Amino acid sequence: MEHTEVVKPESLDELIKILHKIFESDSINVEEVQDIMEAYDSNPQDWMRYAKFDQYSTFDGCSKKSNRTWKNRYTRNLVDEGNGKFNLMILCWGEGHGSSIHDHTDSHCFMKLLQGQLKETLFEWPDSKSKGEMVQKSQRILQENKVAYINDSIGLHRVENGSHTECAASLHLYSPPFQSCQTFDQRTGHRNTVKMTFWSKKGERTPFETAFSQENN
Amino acid sequence: MEIHEGAAVASDSVLDFSRLSLTTFNLNSVSDERKRDTKQLYLNYNRLGSLPSSVSLFCNLEFLDISNNGLSAICEGITRLTRLKTLIAKNNRLDEFSLPKEFGSLQLEVLNFSGNRFEEIPLQCMKLLRLQSLSFGGNRLKSIPDEIENLTSLELLYLGGNLITAIPPEVANLPYLSYLVLCDNRIQSVPPQLTRLHSLRSLSLHNNLLTYLPREILCLVHLQELSLRGNPLVVRFVKEMTYDPPSLLELAGRTVKSRNIPYYPYDLPSNLMRYLDLASKCPNPKCAGVYFDSCVRQIKFVDFCGKYRLPLMHYLCSPECTSPCSSNPQSDAESEEESSVPAYRLQRVLLG
Repeated sequence: MEHTEVVKPESLDELIKILHKIFESDSINVEEVQDIMEAYDSNPQDWMRYAKFDQYSTFDGCSKKSNRTWKNRYTRNLVDEGNGKFNLMILCWGEGHGSSIHDHTDSHCFMKLLQGQLKETLFEWPDSKSKGEMVQKSQRILQENKVAYINDSIGLHRVENGSHTECAASLHLYSPPFQSCQTFDQRTGHRNTVKMTFWSKKGERTPFETAFSQENN
Repeated sequence: MEIHEGAAVASDSVLDFSRLSLTTFNLNSVSDERKRDTKQLYLNYNRLGSLPSSVSLFCNLEFLDISNNGLSAICEGITRLTRLKTLIAKNNRLDEFSLPKEFGSLQLEVLNFSGNRFEEIPLQCMKLLRLQSLSFGGNRLKSIPDEIENLTSLELLYLGGNLITAIPPEVANLPYLSYLVLCDNRIQSVPPQLTRLHSLRSLSLHNNLLTYLPREILCLVHLQELSLRGNPLVVRFVKEMTYDPPSLLELAGRTVKSRNIPYYPYDLPSNLMRYLDLASKCPNPKCAGVYFDSCVRQIKFVDFCGKYRLPLMHYLCSPECTSPCSSNPQSDAESEEESSVPAYRLQRVLLG
């Protein structure tokens, strides 16, 4: 099979430009997107302004009390809206932060490690009849710069920062964009639909998106 | 003004000596003026085996990061940094014998010792009365000292990734505690006293050994986030099968209490007075009974925000004493009625 030459994006902005071009067409070549995302070498200077680690860790070196909001979960920070074809965002995971088991609402999901490590656990869809513990398929630790891909036909997953000392940051591309998904209780397979919200958009904090945000996926 | 080769100066008060593979920190290259002006000093990601005492010459230092070195001790000189507010010392080789004697005299607000080798939290740390944020994540702690209650300014306590088996009720005496992380430990139960943590917004208990939670957890009014995954939480309704029948003393005590028989100190020996005062009310609202020592543990499920079923434990005076809605123990629709928790509490339960 002929491989098109992968142009190495030298910055996040360049990666975004290339992604816009790729997504001009209506069909997506999963491998092509994965390759181009992996080819970008994460440079914190590129994405620091989106990475809202708004929690206790003194990541920025100066923790003014008014800036500190303790959070138990990761933040979703929108970077680019992909002309409506995709959403590109950066997720910031504090120490010990993890997601629920969730699906991807019939969309493609690409996840690239920008900093630190994340553990991905894959699960089978629960049987609507069975009420037992969900079945785990596999687990892996994703290293910096690696890109993982998932969609609903592959299964469900949980993503966690297992480190108690380091934060993690990941770049996510979802196509087409989606605003809600299902979360699953591992013990019972019980599912629940949740709305997804952004902690910030294009580097600006967006605290009033919804009155009661339910889940940051 | 001479600056060590490779050091970056972001602004006048920040000195960045991080990631330089330094094996020693030679302060001679830093002018006296610069030492006085520096408020933030980064020494992380080097190969320092020890921190020179001369670091105290940075007399106005407010922030010091010595993470990711090979430090096995912290020098006594650090205690002379009277303005130091933040100390980050992650990923070193520190243990409870590594801290200088007068460490507790520092005016620290943020202290991070995660990724070290502490088997207990040193008592010097319990003297840091201005401490707002404390992290001992990823160490080898077996317990939390009772003296934790001395840290009355504490808002964040990160103890994830240790070997902790129990939470002392003294944790509940921290009036401003908002963020409590106890994930990845070996905790089997949560003390009901935690209900006093009125400021608690976030409680992380995932990956422990919990089979149930105390029903008092419903009283944490401001709790927004609770993680419980990876605990052997009881899924089906469980009724405790063992029940020791009450003693004669207990039966007599129950009768006195439930029939409101008056008693006075001149009627009874003091030990019986004390015994009668210990009576606990049966939580079943339809039961006027009391119990002393003999009670049945019962696990009830509570529907949190229509999402999950969490086993909560409460005591009843006898196995016959059940709450109104437990007629069908296997029913999934079972929910707690006696303490009606509004659905807007516990907004995001990271159980899944």
